[in-house]
Amino acid sequence: MRLPLALLALALAAACSIDTTAPARAAERFHAAVAARKDEAACAMLARRTAEKLPDPGETCPQALQALELGPGGRVTGVEVWGDEAQVRMAGDTVFLHRYSYGWRVKAAGCEPRGDLPYDCEVED
Amino acid sequence: MKWIKENALSLTFLVLFVLALGGQAVAGALQFNDEQRVMGAEPVSILEYVVSSNFAVDVAENWQSEYLQFLLFTVLTVWLVQKGSPESKEPGSEGAGSDDEQMVGPYARENSPAWARAKGLKLWLYSNSLGLAMGAAFVGSWLAQSVAGTAGYNAERLAELRNPISWGSYLTSPEFWNRSLQNWQSELLAVLSMVVLSIYLRQRGSPESKPVGAPHDVTGVTA
Repeated sequence: MRLPLALLALALAAACSIDTTAPARAAERFHAAVAARKDEAACAMLARRTAEKLPDPGETCPQALQALELGPGGRVTGVEVWGDEAQVRMAGDTVFLHRYSYGWRVKAAGCEPRGDLPYDCEVED
Repeated sequence: MKWIKENALSLTFLVLFVLALGGQAVAGALQFNDEQRVMGAEPVSILEYVVSSNFAVDVAENWQSEYLQFLLFTVLTVWLVQKGSPESKEPGSEGAGSDDEQMVGPYARENSPAWARAKGLKLWLYSNSLGLAMGAAFVGSWLAQSVAGTAGYNAERLAELRNPISWGSYLTSPEFWNRSLQNWQSELLAVLSMVVLSIYLRQRGSPESKPVGAPHDVTGVTA
């Protein structure tokens, strides 16, 4: 009896101590860099695999990001963090992030909801 | 030495349990890290894996089904019998038994547990304490499975660029019921096998078996 309760307490404690600020700030910084045309800086905030998959052959990540012309993110309206994954809902976008040992990085941005299916994202891995 | 010999069964299962749980932690972390590599994520240490929702849900889903098995077996065998099975009481003796048979209240022996001499709620609680303990462990484990399962499932959904769901939605999700029912069916089959096979098959020396020479139609006799 004690062990299942300890597991539950652990899960609840983990759920209650979640930091939603860091992914929200990371999403805001990404959109601020895109809006300021600092595409190189924005590319550095992408998860490695996302940054690798974004450009077409012969193109760089900043060039690809600039060509997408992502709309403004706007203010953060909600953050969900589960494990090492986060979803930051903004007024103009929904951003998905992954937590690495060196911080949160954007996995997907420019995302449109499709009901219960995966979001359709302009930037994704 | 005498203490170890007298408690050898519990000690053996305790050691096997710890070894199996440790093995599950190592194997689970290796599998998790394999999936992490595929997703382009970083590997985690065994300690990080052990405190993760992924490990918690895998542990809890197995625990709840085991405790459910013993809860059902403990309680249903009060009222239901199986002719010929050493796991059952004799047909005709269904029910909770008289106070005399159960050695409670005025029929308690000198060396009976103190609560067997009690009355009212205290006696009811002690009379059903095994089932209650199994039931509480089942409910606690199942609840832990639902909480840890929600966390693990939502991490998966976010990784797939899907919206996370609430705990309430998880409780009615195919993921939760698939995890629960796949464990329940195996536990129920194991009990069914034990009850029925022990009518016809024997394990010489085991209290789970009838004596080797006992007739098939004799119920509730152990070696």
